[in-house]
Amino acid sequence: MTRPGFVLEVDDRTPPLLVHEGLGFRLEEFPQGTRVIYPPESLPTVPDVEGAIRESLENPVDSEPLRELMFPGMRLTIAFDDLSLPLPSMKAPDIRGRIIEQVLTIAAEKGVDDVEIVAALALHRRMTDAEMRHIVGERVFRSFAPSGKLYNHDAEDRANLEHMGQTEKGEDVEINKRAATSDLLVYVNVNLVAMDGGHKSVGIGLASYKSIKHHHNAKTMVHSRSFMDHKHSEMHSSAWRMGRLIGEHVKVFQIETTLDNEVFGKPYDTLLKREWEWSLRDQATVLGLRRGLAVAPQKMRHKMFHDLRSNYGLTGITAGAVEPVHELTVQRVHQQQRVKVEGQSDVMVMGVPFLGPYNVNSTMNPILAACMGLGYYFNSYLRQPVVREGGVAILYHPLDEGFNTLTHPSYVDFYEEVLADTTDPALIGPKFEEQFATDPWYVHLYRTSNAYHGVHPFYMWYWIAHALDHLGDVIWVGGNPRAAARMGFRSASTLRDALEMASSTVGPSPSITYLRNPPHLLADVR
Amino acid sequence: MSSFWKDTARDVRLMKRGWRWGHRAQVPRSAEPFVPPATTTVFDNEWSRRPAARAVREVAQTGLEAVFRSQVKTQVEGLDVLERLDGPVIFVANHASHLDTPLILLSLPDEWRRRTAVAAAADYFFDTWWRAVGSSLVFNTLPIDRRGGALATQPGEVLAEGWSLVVFPEGTRSKDGTVGRFRSGAAYLATEYGVPVVPIAHRGTYAAMPRGMNWPGKDRSGGRRQLTVRFGEPLHPAAGESVREFAPRIRSAVSRLLDEDATDWYASMRRAAEDRTPDPAGEEIAEWRKVWAATESPDPEPDKIRAWRR
Repeated sequence: MTRPGFVLEVDDRTPPLLVHEGLGFRLEEFPQGTRVIYPPESLPTVPDVEGAIRESLENPVDSEPLRELMFPGMRLTIAFDDLSLPLPSMKAPDIRGRIIEQVLTIAAEKGVDDVEIVAALALHRRMTDAEMRHIVGERVFRSFAPSGKLYNHDAEDRANLEHMGQTEKGEDVEINKRAATSDLLVYVNVNLVAMDGGHKSVGIGLASYKSIKHHHNAKTMVHSRSFMDHKHSEMHSSAWRMGRLIGEHVKVFQIETTLDNEVFGKPYDTLLKREWEWSLRDQATVLGLRRGLAVAPQKMRHKMFHDLRSNYGLTGITAGAVEPVHELTVQRVHQQQRVKVEGQSDVMVMGVPFLGPYNVNSTMNPILAACMGLGYYFNSYLRQPVVREGGVAILYHPLDEGFNTLTHPSYVDFYEEVLADTTDPALIGPKFEEQFATDPWYVHLYRTSNAYHGVHPFYMWYWIAHALDHLGDVIWVGGNPRAAARMGFRSASTLRDALEMASSTVGPSPSITYLRNPPHLLADVR
Repeated sequence: MSSFWKDTARDVRLMKRGWRWGHRAQVPRSAEPFVPPATTTVFDNEWSRRPAARAVREVAQTGLEAVFRSQVKTQVEGLDVLERLDGPVIFVANHASHLDTPLILLSLPDEWRRRTAVAAAADYFFDTWWRAVGSSLVFNTLPIDRRGGALATQPGEVLAEGWSLVVFPEGTRSKDGTVGRFRSGAAYLATEYGVPVVPIAHRGTYAAMPRGMNWPGKDRSGGRRQLTVRFGEPLHPAAGESVREFAPRIRSAVSRLLDEDATDWYASMRRAAEDRTPDPAGEEIAEWRKVWAATESPDPEPDKIRAWRR
């Protein structure tokens, strides 16, 4: 029996609540009356995953069965979501690998020779072989990687990009040439949150900077209300226009999957439970983890968390035409993550965990921490933000992990040069973006190393543009004061201090709402 | 390193306070509708009625009695009814506190006490092995499923083996000190197994140790709280009387005993004859007034002249 999500009101019976903060967590005693949004428990999972995949391929939505779309001599391209999904990475076998195996089984039976498999990573970093193998599985990797038929999409490879035209709003649509010129493009998605999937998969995942910049900018981001509702998101509207144009040129067979809320495996599964239901063993685990993390060196803490694999189970899979498939997907995601919340509050509290989409096997630098809290968590709403306009966001993260120069080289310069000049998303774009996006060294690192594209830190900052526009103040509990100040925020040692600092903006007795995630939740604020 | 131990001590204190170590966990009020149904793991305790366990219980109850008497004062009335019975019987009492069980057991003559089991909520007293063992050894508890499920040992089997049974038909401790609705389990057992029901009324346990407390409190002057317990005439199901008809009779008997304990025997009998026995569920008044009244310990009035004392 899956219990629904609900809004807890902290009272005298409420134990301290768990708050994530980077490579650790704390137990926080919230003021009485604080609202705490708990996500629903995991939905029942699909008992026969292989059977469900087969069924979706044989009976797709608004499309012929996959088998009928294949023929000898065709060009088949399979694209899949990169390692930014799901979070944390799944225990093997990854659902994408299981789907790709069945797609390839059909292709083999139909005599298709020309098959290429592309990781749709847009401007994310290239995945290592080990990361790629983890996603697609050993069988697929061994069959395609050595011959160069399994590879990372390269958004800077001019020779392998195809300009397909412009949308009615003048947006350039330029995607991976192989995908654009295929007889069939099969896209294998993991829809972790409602903003994933749909036309965003191909329209962004396989696109070039020239195409992506039309929607990844401060203006579009500020006007996306919300990212979790593609019908009210400017960014998604743009991606949908592009996707429809792509659909006129290439047949896209979209396969979307949804997952339950089993974010952590043992021994971290306690962190997903509701605190008042912690058994003595759970309490001992939390105490042990906290004390262990307190003495562990940073490297060890990083390893402890980043070696963690999730126990995600499949709650559904749908294949076929992009839009009807995505509608069904979004319904399932909402069912898993949506929580009804009555009204906004003055203060919103968020614990930023160790992991976001852009620091898998890397470090959560201050910009990524800001993006995770003010980008992903803040925007995890339907209808209206959890916090009122002019309210205060209080985030927990030490902001002390530094920068990984292998994966995030341009972030260092963005932090030191751009943010030192201005933190206004509307100003940094025109002034600095082009320079970072076209810098030959960043382009080189993106194409040949494992670095995020030079423009990527700008996108992180645009991501938080809506929050910055909406909020009156942002305070980091336990955050490095210098890092917070560089980003234009303030830091506090404790929640009490943070509320004291917030009182100048929201008064001495503000209403407070804490987002108790992970697991993933979507606040439907009425 | 000293800061590590300081922080560890702070964490331990925080968890001890937050999760009420040594006490039952509490659920925030707004989370109560989302509490999952209790697990059905119930530990069988058939062993607790064997000679070895009975010997241990004798020692345990001797110790319990010493502690009990040191904390509360008791006044027991009406035990003579047991002289006219051979047993087994079903003792039916109102339920206001965890003190009710020791009060009743320790009020019974030894030969009755040694052959009396107590029906206890399986989901509360038998959810962990240590609680099951503890309550079985000290109180000779018998798990009862409050949701009506089947358990390993049925109360009927225990009655058939000659054990008397203490039953609290309200199913849970009173929240405001008044007497709640009686479920029909005791009436069913009496009818089914042809066993008499001995009604019991007690007062003062709510004032001494209500829900949320785990040790008896003292009165205003720091003295022991007064408890009273009164045993009534045995009730037998009449020929052809259904469970549904018998159950209200049991509740009426307990109500009259409560009235008797608060006033006197004859006046309570007069009121009962005129169907004017005060309903122990209390009047339709604000909850705080019910709690207020129940937090007053009974006055045993030792000098009061009664028609006769048993």
